[in-house]
Amino acid sequence: MNESTRRDFLRTLGVSAAAMPFLMGLPSFAFGNPAPLRKKRLVVLFSPDGIVPSTFWPDTPGSGFIFKESLKPLANYRDKMLILKGVGDRIRGDGDGHMRGIGCLLTGIELFPGNVQGGSDTPAGWSSGISIDQEIKNYLQKSAATKTRFGSLEFGVMVPEHADTWTRMCYAGPNKPIAPIDDPYQMFNKLYGSMKDRELMKSVLDDLKQDMDKVRSQISKDDQRLLDDHMQLVREMEKDISNHKNETLNHPVPQLEPGVRRDNDNMPKISKLQIDLMVSSFIADSCRVATLQYTNSVGQPRFTWLGITEGQHDLSHEPDSNTGAQEKLTRINKWYAEQMAYLLKKLSETKEPDGNGTLLDNTTVIWTNELGQGNSHTLENIPWVLVGGGLGFKTGRYIDFKGVHHNRLLMELAHGFGHNVTSFGNKDYCGQGVLGLS
Amino acid sequence: MNVRVKKAHLLLLTTSSLPLLVALQAPAKPSAPASTGEALFAKNCASCHGKEGVGGPGYPKALTGTKAPADLGTYISKSMPPGGKTPPAQATEIAKYIYGAFYSPIAQERIRPPRVTLQRLTVKQFRNALADLIGPDHQALTGEPGGMNGNYYKSRPWDDKNRLIQRKDSTINYDFGTKGPSDAAFDLWNFSAVWTGSIIAPETGEYEFIIQSNQNARLQLNGDRPLIDNRVRSLNEVEFKASTYLIAGRNYPFFLEFTKQTAGVNDEEKKKKTPPSSAFVKLLWKRPKMAAEIIPAQYFSQGWNQNTYISDTQLPADDRSIGYDRGNAVSKDWDEATTRAALETAEYVVANIDRLSGTKAGDANRAAKIKEGAKLFLTKAFRQPLTPEQEQLYLEKPFASASSPEVALKKIIVLGLKSPRFLYREIGSRKDSFQTASELSFGLWDTIPDVQLLQATGRGELKTPDGRRNHIQRLVNDSRTYTKLREFVMSWLKVDDIPDIVKNAKAFPQFDQATVNDLRTSLDLFVKDAVWTPDGSFTKLMTSKNQFLNGRLSKLYGGNLAPDAGFQPVIATDRTGVLTHPYLLSKFAYNEGTSPIHRGVLIARNMMGRVLAPPPVAVAPVAASLQPSLTTRERVQQQTKPEGCYSCHQLINPLGFTLEKYDAIGKVRLIDNNKPVDTSGSYVNSKGETAKFNDINDLANYIANNPDSHAAFVEKLFQYFTKQPIRAYGKDALPNLVAQFKKDNYNIRSLIVNVMMTATQ
Repeated sequence: MNESTRRDFLRTLGVSAAAMPFLMGLPSFAFGNPAPLRKKRLVVLFSPDGIVPSTFWPDTPGSGFIFKESLKPLANYRDKMLILKGVGDRIRGDGDGHMRGIGCLLTGIELFPGNVQGGSDTPAGWSSGISIDQEIKNYLQKSAATKTRFGSLEFGVMVPEHADTWTRMCYAGPNKPIAPIDDPYQMFNKLYGSMKDRELMKSVLDDLKQDMDKVRSQISKDDQRLLDDHMQLVREMEKDISNHKNETLNHPVPQLEPGVRRDNDNMPKISKLQIDLMVSSFIADSCRVATLQYTNSVGQPRFTWLGITEGQHDLSHEPDSNTGAQEKLTRINKWYAEQMAYLLKKLSETKEPDGNGTLLDNTTVIWTNELGQGNSHTLENIPWVLVGGGLGFKTGRYIDFKGVHHNRLLMELAHGFGHNVTSFGNKDYCGQGVLGLS
Repeated sequence: MNVRVKKAHLLLLTTSSLPLLVALQAPAKPSAPASTGEALFAKNCASCHGKEGVGGPGYPKALTGTKAPADLGTYISKSMPPGGKTPPAQATEIAKYIYGAFYSPIAQERIRPPRVTLQRLTVKQFRNALADLIGPDHQALTGEPGGMNGNYYKSRPWDDKNRLIQRKDSTINYDFGTKGPSDAAFDLWNFSAVWTGSIIAPETGEYEFIIQSNQNARLQLNGDRPLIDNRVRSLNEVEFKASTYLIAGRNYPFFLEFTKQTAGVNDEEKKKKTPPSSAFVKLLWKRPKMAAEIIPAQYFSQGWNQNTYISDTQLPADDRSIGYDRGNAVSKDWDEATTRAALETAEYVVANIDRLSGTKAGDANRAAKIKEGAKLFLTKAFRQPLTPEQEQLYLEKPFASASSPEVALKKIIVLGLKSPRFLYREIGSRKDSFQTASELSFGLWDTIPDVQLLQATGRGELKTPDGRRNHIQRLVNDSRTYTKLREFVMSWLKVDDIPDIVKNAKAFPQFDQATVNDLRTSLDLFVKDAVWTPDGSFTKLMTSKNQFLNGRLSKLYGGNLAPDAGFQPVIATDRTGVLTHPYLLSKFAYNEGTSPIHRGVLIARNMMGRVLAPPPVAVAPVAASLQPSLTTRERVQQQTKPEGCYSCHQLINPLGFTLEKYDAIGKVRLIDNNKPVDTSGSYVNSKGETAKFNDINDLANYIANNPDSHAAFVEKLFQYFTKQPIRAYGKDALPNLVAQFKKDNYNIRSLIVNVMMTATQ
C-alpha cells in the first residue's frame, strides 16, 4: 500500500491526523492486505574471454545508436536496452586478469591471496566478499513480501567440474563460492522434484496395497495388527498426495528433451533447456534472482555448430590483425547474444501471473563478461548490456562512462531493488555512488 | 523463597545427575493375600470355566472379551451361574478380578506366552540393507586395521619415477617445516604425498572429517567426488571440514592428496626464487558425539573397498524399551522417512543406472540388462526368488507401462523398497529355507543375505542342521558379525550411547577429551581381543589382564610407553577384565569421586542378571564435603542405611566397593580421603549362597564362573541378535544354550553359532 492510498483509507475512516501515530504503529494487516508490489527480477548472463570491441560497441552514444554485428540479435529490444561502455573492473590485488575478471565481477572486491597461480600476477584464492546477486537475494529473502522458495538460482552451461577461481562467479560470502548447476536435469529436479516424487508414489500405491493385502492374509492374526497400522499409514499417504494434487501449478511442467548429455556439441541444447527452466522458475515465482554462466573465465568451448573448431580462449588471444580470428570471435559473441535474445523473447511473451505486464517488464537481464577484450586481458570497458524493465532504468540508450568503477554499477543494481547500499565490495571504488541509470 | 530456590536446586541436581541418585530396590514384592474376587471365582466359577478362565467342562471357551468391569459385574450378577443369580457385591468383586487377571485385552497381552512376533527392519537393518542392495554385494573388511599406504613424491607427476618413499603410515599428522618428508631428494617447493586405503567406522553416525594444512589437500572418502577439496584456497584458510554419515563396521575407501605445488599455471621457476615455505598436513575426525582427534591407526586399513551406498534420509529411532532396538511399531514419521529413502535411492540408482546394471549407452542389450538388474534387486530385497505372481507385479508391470527403462527401474525400486516383503522381517513360513537365510543374516549381520547365502539356500543347503551350522559358521566368522557383537557388548556395558565423560579439571588436569577418545579406542581394542580372537570367551572378557594403551594413556595410567607410542597390548597386573577398564570406571563415577553405587548397579543388573527396581524415593547423594572425615565407601554405606534403601543396597554396595581401588578416572589408588581403600565385598546369589571377595579380582573370577551370570549373558545376547524373546523358542532353549556355553569353555563365537541354530530350529 503506497502512501496516498493509505491516506485515502484513513480519510474515509474519518480518523484524524492526531490519531495517526497510533495507527501507524499497528501491524500493516490493520489496513488490509497491501497491494502487491511489482515484482522485480535480475538475471546475469556471463560469457567468457572478452568481446571484439570493433564489432560490439556502437559508434555513437545516445538513443540513436546503430547495432554492430555482435549485438544484432538484440535489435528488437533497443527500446528496452541500456549498453554501458567505460565501466571497468578496477579491482587489483592477487590473481591474474581472468581470475579477478570473474572473481571480482559481481563481488567488487579483491581475491584473497591463495594457492592458485594464474597466467600472470600472484597466486590467489577465492573472493573476499559476497557477490551482488547473493546480496540482493539475501535482501529479498528477508522480507515476507519478496521472499521466494529459492531466492536465487545459479544456472550454468558447460561449467567445468573443477572448482577454482576461474569457474566461480557467485559468492555467498568470503571464501564461499557457489557452484552453478549446469545439468538441466538436476535443475529440473530441484524445481519439480517433489511433485514428480508424489506422482511416482501415486503410481505405485495401488500395486503396493494389493501386495500388502496378500502379505496380510499370510501372517498370523496377532501379527496382522502391525501390518494394519502400516496400511493405515499408506492410506494416509494416498490422501496426502491427492490433497497436493488440488494445488495446481500455474504453468505446465516443462518437458525436457531427454538424454541431452553434458557435451561440448550439446551446448546450444543445454542453453535452451536452462533458459526454459529459468523462465518457468519465474512464472512459479521460485526466485527473483538468477545467474546463467556459460562455461567459465578462460572458457574454451569449441563452437563446432558454427563451424569453428578452435577453442574460444585460444582464439581470444589472437591479435587484432588476425581478422579471421576476430571474425570468429564476433560470431561467437553473436551466438551468446542470440541466447540472450531467446531469453528476452520468452520473457516478453510470458504474462506475469499477477497480471502486472510481461515478465520482461519486471526483469532486468544483464549480459557481461570477465574481460573487456581477450587479447589484451583488459578489465576496462567490460561489456554490460542491460535489457528489460525490472529495475526501472531509463532504457533505449548507449552510454560511455569513459572509465568508472564497476562497483558503482553493482550498487545501482541493489538500489534498483530498494536496497540502498552506501557501498558494495571495496569501498574505495564506490566513491561517487550509483551511476544514475534511472 | 529461599527454601524454594534450594528445592529447585536439588531437583536440578536430581535430573542432571539422575544415575547417581538411583537408589535401587530389590524386586521384593509382598505376596498379597488372594483377593475376594479370586477366591469367589475359584469357589463358584472355576468348575465350569476352568482355572483362570481358560475354559472348562461347562464352558469350553476362554473367558475373554471387551466388556467394561461394571458391565461385566452386572452381567455376572444377572446371569451367573446359568439359571441363577449372584449377589451384586460378589459379582463386582468377581468382575474386578477376572477383568484384571485374564478377561481384558490388556490382561490377555500380559499373560500371553512369549512368541516370535513380526518385526519390521530396525533403522540399522534398513540402512545396512540399502547399502548392500545398491552397493556391491557385501564387503567384509579388507586388510588388517593399523595403518594406510603412504606414497611420497619428489614433485609432479605422481608416477613411480618420482616416488621417493612408499611405506605404511599409521596416522596423518605431519609437520614438515621447510624440509621434505625424509632426507631423500624431495623438491622442497613442490613435493607431494598421497595416502590411500580404507577408513573403518567404529560407530554408526555423522563423522566430521577435518584437514589441517597450509598447502593443497584433497580428501575423497566413500564417493566419486572429493569430500574436502582445498586445492583452491585462500591463504588465510588452514582448516577444512566436511561431514558424512557412516555405518559402523564397514570399510570406506579413501585417498588424501597433499601437495606443495600451486594449483593453476606452472610457476616453478618463479617460486624457486624464494625459500621453500613450511608445510603441514593433518587428518582428523570427530566420531559421533566425540571430540576431534587425529584419526588413530586402528581405524585405517591398507585394503581397498568399493564405495558403500549410504542414504541421506534419517529414520526415526527404534523402540528400545526392553534393552535393544526392535521394529515392533510403525509410525507416520517412519512411513514418510522410508518413502523419502526409497525415492532418494531410486534417484541414485537411475543416475548411476549404467554402472549399476553393467551396461552402457548404445549397448544393444541395455534394456535387458537393466531388467535383469532390477530382478536381482527385487530378489535380494525380498530375500527369495520371486514367485511368478510377484514377478508380474513388481517387474513386468512397471516395464510394460513405463516409457523407458529408467522410468521402469525407478518405479520398481520405490515399489520394492516400500513393499512389506522388504520392510518386514520373515513374513513367510518359518519352515521355508529362505526365511531361515533371512533370519541368519539379519540376526548376525543386521542386513539382507548375501548372494552366496541365497544361492546356497536355493541349493537346499540350509535344510539340514549340519548344513545350517556350516553356513552359520561362515557368517559368524565374518567381520560383520563382530560389528554386531561389539555393539552388543557395548550395550551390555552400558556405553553404547557414547557417554559424555567430563571430570573436574582441577582434580584431574590430564583427563581431557583426547584422553576420553583414547580410552574409548582402548576399550574397543580390549573388547575385540577378549571376545573376537579365536580364544575369545566370557572368561577372557571378565578376567583378561591385557590392556591397550598408547603413549598418552600410559603416561596417565602409569605405564612406560614412549609419549608418542601407538596403541599396544600391555599386561596390567593391577587390573582384571573389562570391569576394570578405565573407560568404564570413569563413566561409572562422578566428576571427582568414585560411585560404588553406579558400578555396583551395572554389575548387579548386567553381570549377575538381577532385577533392580528404581529407588522408592529420589535421594541426592550427600556431598563429600559435608562429611569430610568419611571415605566414599563409608559415606555410601551410611547414606543407604535406611530400610527403604538397604534392601537393594545390601546387594549393590558390596559389589561396587570391590572397585574402590580405582578413582574417578579409573586410576589405581591406595588411599581415599587419607585412609587406605577397603576393596572387600560380597554377594548373595539367588539361592542365598554368600560369596566373599577381597577385591574386584575375586569378583571378576566369580562372575566368570557364575552360572547365573552365564545365563544372563546368553539371554541378553540372544535377544540382542534375534530381537525375539528366548522363551518364545521353548523353555529349554536357555538352559540348553547355557549348558553348551559351558561345554565350549564360554567361547563367544561358538555361543553365537548355537544361538542362531536355536533361533532357526
